[in-house]
Amino acid sequence: MTTALETQLRSRAHDLLAEGVVELFLGYRQGSNPLRVAPFVARTPLETAKLVWNAVCVPNLAGTLAKHAGQRIGVALKACDAQSVRELLKLNQLERSRLYLIGIGCAGMADPAAITDAAPGRVTGLAEAGPDLVLTTADDVVRRERGTLLLTKCATCTGMPTDFCDEWLGEAPPAPPAVPAERFAAVQALATLAPPERLAFWSEHLSRCTLCYACQTVCPLCFCKECALTLERDHPRRQAREPMTIFAYHLMRAYHLADRCTGCDECSRVCPEDIPLNLICRKLEQDRSQV
Amino acid sequence: MSEPFEPKIVGLLCSWCAYAGADTAGVSRVQYPPNLRIVRVMCSGRVDPLFVARAFEHGADGVLVAGCHPGDCHYLSGNNYAEERFAKFAQLLDFFGLDQRRFKLAWVSGSEGARFAAIVAEMTEELRALGPLELKVQ
Repeated sequence: MTTALETQLRSRAHDLLAEGVVELFLGYRQGSNPLRVAPFVARTPLETAKLVWNAVCVPNLAGTLAKHAGQRIGVALKACDAQSVRELLKLNQLERSRLYLIGIGCAGMADPAAITDAAPGRVTGLAEAGPDLVLTTADDVVRRERGTLLLTKCATCTGMPTDFCDEWLGEAPPAPPAVPAERFAAVQALATLAPPERLAFWSEHLSRCTLCYACQTVCPLCFCKECALTLERDHPRRQAREPMTIFAYHLMRAYHLADRCTGCDECSRVCPEDIPLNLICRKLEQDRSQV
Repeated sequence: MSEPFEPKIVGLLCSWCAYAGADTAGVSRVQYPPNLRIVRVMCSGRVDPLFVARAFEHGADGVLVAGCHPGDCHYLSGNNYAEERFAKFAQLLDFFGLDQRRFKLAWVSGSEGARFAAIVAEMTEELRALGPLELKVQ
């Protein structure tokens, strides 16, 4: 089922490509199952029919955008992606004049894991109906409230940067809300622990880290061509996975992102070991807001 | 038989002040614990927090970064950069639960041999009490 927003997006992308305003249009295409989407670059007006916009467009497009830097490119942005793009522009990784930014009125993205838990079986279809999501499984169709399935970052979204996009699709953006206190609740809970307990918390989580560097690869703001922190696959230190090697990596990654991280939570999304890396992002954000 | 724990401390000392201060301590025969391994750097502003993280990774129990007093930097502002950088870095160390006492940023001028010795002695004492930096694999 195609939503109005999706149709609008496809037609705008089609027109932009047909008129030659942009060479590429970046959005999402359907992924391997209904709860997955993948970044997708449309190069011809015809290809825009593949673009989708649904309730699980979670990946951050800013990283993909940076890979295509230099070309004239249009992109559909939700609030968190726009924050990352703004940061990339600030750091001279993109050229504003070569971008055509379409802001999307985003009602918050649903967590695919939460959807899977909420559905009575394997989800074979996902649609939107007002404030609800309609989940189709093999022998049932259920409605679930979108608000209860949101990603944690979306539940406490800080909104789209003002006067940033070239045009808007969907509902006009609500005024950026004050930063909700619950955004930092988990970090504050961690801060009240004694240092040894915090160390135990991180040891427990980081001991699962395999140094796969997915968090670094996916991060839109980790754009160095060569990274001082990554070790070759056959490097003894990477293979031994000493706890302090892992700590040093995550510590330095946090330090390098200290004034860049925009809190898109891509790192914790891609982590194969489900390490709560988003806590680090929240911590950085909290520290910045206190300066 | 277990020997009492002796911490290993890596000292990243600026060539113009802190390193000279260590030299003054030596020349004037001030006693301080031999737990410090000194690395001379040209300026405290040269010290990347990565050096500190690597020192911990390779077995240091504590790291001391020392440079010129604010305003006395040989390169005018290197120590100001160091101060900003390590303020942020220390916050992150704390966030990950590594004890704040394991990392120290100090200002020591070339003539302050006794002060340098006192800083090293104090840090060594603290780390002896704190024990080795051991991260357990769960």
